[in-house]
Amino acid sequence: MSIGSDMSTDRQYELVYITPPDTTEEVLADLHQQVAAIVERFHGKIERTEPWGRRRLAYEINKHREGAYVLEVINGPAALTTELDRRLRVLDVVIRHLIVRVDQDLAVAERAKARRKAAMTARRVRRGLPPEPTETELHRRNEDDDDLDGGLEMGFRGGREQ
Amino acid sequence: MSEREKDSKGGGRGAAGKGEKGGRRTFFRRRRLCKFCVEKIDYINYKDVKMLSPFIPERGKIQPRRISGVCATHQRALQIAIKRARQLALVPYVTD
Repeated sequence: MSIGSDMSTDRQYELVYITPPDTTEEVLADLHQQVAAIVERFHGKIERTEPWGRRRLAYEINKHREGAYVLEVINGPAALTTELDRRLRVLDVVIRHLIVRVDQDLAVAERAKARRKAAMTARRVRRGLPPEPTETELHRRNEDDDDLDGGLEMGFRGGREQ
Repeated sequence: MSEREKDSKGGGRGAAGKGEKGGRRTFFRRRRLCKFCVEKIDYINYKDVKMLSPFIPERGKIQPRRISGVCATHQRALQIAIKRARQLALVPYVTD
């Protein structure tokens, strides 16, 4: 049972697509509607949509030097991506698209952050300080950090000369 | 800096200039720290061109970590991010 529910767990994907810079609002709205329909069909959900607007392309794509970017963050099953990919490939208004799974990477980043925070709290408690650094401490630490940096580099230099 | 140029030229010619002078010992480049470790960046975002651009020299190639000083873990993540950004034409594949 648990395995079955795991399989159907939603994943998070980021879809970015590029349309020619002269694409009208209606066409863009229609495109968004098509994406939404596919997502709907797979019982997924569009978490947010971010139009980046026109951007210069780093290289020409189909003779276009500029493109209008749209980012969609989608929660849904894996089957959704293959269908989205297939449809976007066929559409002429989309000159380039990319679907990337992000939930795992974001979770890893989140865990790393939590671990760092926990380590800091533990260290502070051991030293008998309040778990969270105070305002004044934060300010002082910024200055200290610069000193620490210098010290570290000195250490490396020493190590290399041996 | 001149030491370094000499070194690289020697490498290009092959074994000829290898280890003849003690140039290697006198030359020292400061050990560089991984930018992502120092700034505690956990997720290297492929959409953030500003974050990637310091690691993409003029030619458009990915900067090797022996030059940038990025640690192995982050270089791996950076490499993936740059390749994704290339697909989206945020960053060039090559620039001549």
